Amino acid sequence: MDLALTESQEMLKGIARSFMAREAPKDVIVGLESEPSGLIPELWKKACGLGWLGMLIPAEYGGGEASLCDTAVLYEELGRGPLPGPFFSSGVLGALVLLEGATPEQRRALLPAVARGERILSLAVSDPGTSWGAHGVTLIPQREKGGFSLTGTKLFAADATSATDLIVAVRTADAPGDVSFLLLDARAPGVSTRRLPGFLSWQCEVALERALVPDTALLGGAPGQGWATLTRAMLRALPILCSYMVGGCQAVYEMSVSHSRTRVQFGVPVGRFQRVQDHIVRLVNHLDAARWTTGEALWKLDTGRPAEASVHLAKAVASEGYLEACNAAHEVHAGMGSMNEYGLAAHTQMSRTLFHYLGDPRWHKRRMADALEW
Amino acid sequence: MDFEVTYSEEQQRFRQEVRAWLAEHVPPGAARTPVSAEDNYGRYLDLRELGRALGAKGWLFPRAPVTYGGGGLDLDHAVILEEEVDRLDLSLPPYYDSGGRLGAASILVWGTEEQKRAFLPPIYTGQVRTWQLLSEPGAGSDLASVSMTALRDGDEYVLTGQKIFVGSDNGADRIWLIACTDPNGRRHENLAWFMIDAKLPGLEVQPMELMGTGGEGGTDSGVKNTVFFDGVRVPAFSLIGGENNGWKVASTHLELEHGAGGRIGRNRLWERLLRYCRETKRDGLALTQDRDVRDILADVYIKAEVTRLFGLRNFGLIYSGRKRSYEGPQLSYYRKMAGLWMTGAILEAVGPAALTSDPGWGSPDGFLELQQRNGIVAVHPGGTADVQRVSMARRIGIGRAAPESAGKVE
Repeated sequence: MDLALTESQEMLKGIARSFMAREAPKDVIVGLESEPSGLIPELWKKACGLGWLGMLIPAEYGGGEASLCDTAVLYEELGRGPLPGPFFSSGVLGALVLLEGATPEQRRALLPAVARGERILSLAVSDPGTSWGAHGVTLIPQREKGGFSLTGTKLFAADATSATDLIVAVRTADAPGDVSFLLLDARAPGVSTRRLPGFLSWQCEVALERALVPDTALLGGAPGQGWATLTRAMLRALPILCSYMVGGCQAVYEMSVSHSRTRVQFGVPVGRFQRVQDHIVRLVNHLDAARWTTGEALWKLDTGRPAEASVHLAKAVASEGYLEACNAAHEVHAGMGSMNEYGLAAHTQMSRTLFHYLGDPRWHKRRMADALEW
Repeated sequence: MDFEVTYSEEQQRFRQEVRAWLAEHVPPGAARTPVSAEDNYGRYLDLRELGRALGAKGWLFPRAPVTYGGGGLDLDHAVILEEEVDRLDLSLPPYYDSGGRLGAASILVWGTEEQKRAFLPPIYTGQVRTWQLLSEPGAGSDLASVSMTALRDGDEYVLTGQKIFVGSDNGADRIWLIACTDPNGRRHENLAWFMIDAKLPGLEVQPMELMGTGGEGGTDSGVKNTVFFDGVRVPAFSLIGGENNGWKVASTHLELEHGAGGRIGRNRLWERLLRYCRETKRDGLALTQDRDVRDILADVYIKAEVTRLFGLRNFGLIYSGRKRSYEGPQLSYYRKMAGLWMTGAILEAVGPAALTSDPGWGSPDGFLELQQRNGIVAVHPGGTADVQRVSMARRIGIGRAAPESAGKVE
């Protein structure tokens, strides 16, 4: 048993932390909020140079073939920002969907460029008026000569405004699981993407108006495999997303402890008040619950153990934990926490966004119960 | 990261040895819920005998030094022992022995060589069972304000006062207690710990009538006592760690009591609850097939898993000799609050059947009825949940630049 990071993981953590301090300090992250895309071109180029977009991609496609535990170390550091941009969307979820579901030709055509960060993937799954799940895919592609035509809307597609390639879920038969993915050029005629305004982080609307894709765009070359592909990809992707949320929790925890020492009211640091202490105790419990449930899921996956229940559990705990950690931090900070420039609000918004992303806690708890065969 | 102890060939060989030995020595039904007072006492005697047999092999306190009758085993071997005992729904020691476990650990850190030789071997070899006596009617969370006095008189101390929430059923051989050695002294500089015989003139034990006893882990006997001391004379030799130095000694005792040791055992409550919900029908449907019940069970399971992982994390910190901070009290706080919350959750999931101990209409051995009581009562023993939160805040350094250190345990 050893619950500490390995030497090389410590090294990666150090590199990522100094990268973040240099390239994405708080003012940069706060400033990004008004941008339609979360991708910072200069930063993206440097991150690609470090191989960060290809970490999970096998060496034969030019990737780093890293373990999930290693990759998680990086995403925890990104989550401390929280640094937006399509790191997870493309380098983790998108890449894993291709690995799990694409034909060898499709992989060869896309994965090396994804690993280099030149092509950027974004998944567009849910249709308007639906909840998360295979049944939420209702868009039906129309047969056209040599391909399909797509007309409809996809909602809450993460990072679609940054993507070069969209992976669009469509319904190809009536059974709930009869979902397929189509690869779609994000700049093709009839495709438009728009960041949804409001209290959410770079989740987008994808509007499709007679957007054409060739037959070869059908992921895996056969219909009806989409949801199974996504399920397999999510199994490995979710703990990485959880690590990003753990990083977020860690950052708001450190912010709160520091504030409790320096903010003086009634002549004493506010952390002297047990009411304030209680908020931070609640916060650190959420942080550690997220950290250790995530860690165990990652470890199970990397060592080939059955991990399905642990993954769903970790996503439920981390999503709830990040949201609650931010709530607690706001109670500690009072008015100062609501000032955008302070940096807490970026986490709060991200925590709300990731709460539902790829399934909310309730959905994951139910999948966990199913996986445990209660 | 590695969440599992990796077993060497030597460990696996040791496991076989332990398993075979336990198969031979653990009496049948050792982990049963007693059906009568006689059955309860009979089971206790069986477990004490098992304790002595384990002690003779150095397996009762496997990590304690051989010099004093312990096993002298490294953590790798101790882990195997704990796992194998846990498999049989038992713990080490297999009966309530908090004064032995925590008292011995404190003596090991704070006792003189002579005291170690005198007090540790009987504990480590299972010859004695020891209760711990801390709380008083006027000193609960505020342990430092204990008013029971221990006043020096020649080569003896004279103990006078009252302790509450003590021990279990079936009595004790030894007592590990904290008392005030200087009633006029300054707070935190007027206490001392004693390891004494449990059967002395002037000492009287009376069972308390309680809603529950908050026990965990199969050693719960359902009984706590009041102990009265009326001029009880004990040798000065039994004072551990120096007169008026008791608050420092307390840091060792409390650190261990507050969960720093961690745990790698199974969650028996969860296992039983799931089995019960699978086997129990309501409105013609197994409870586990009811969507609302499943949702509640998912939350119960998650809290149990987080508790398990915090225990594992704490075990891992000790295992690898890493620095501890707030993790001990965090485990304790989380476990207590999860248990309290679960009383409501289980009541909602299972319904009023959770409240009855009736053998026909309640849960097997009334384990749910017991949880309904003990989930509430367990918030208080070994430091209340609120005390744990205060410890966490100090260790984290909330509102203070210099965080407090964790207590010394080795």
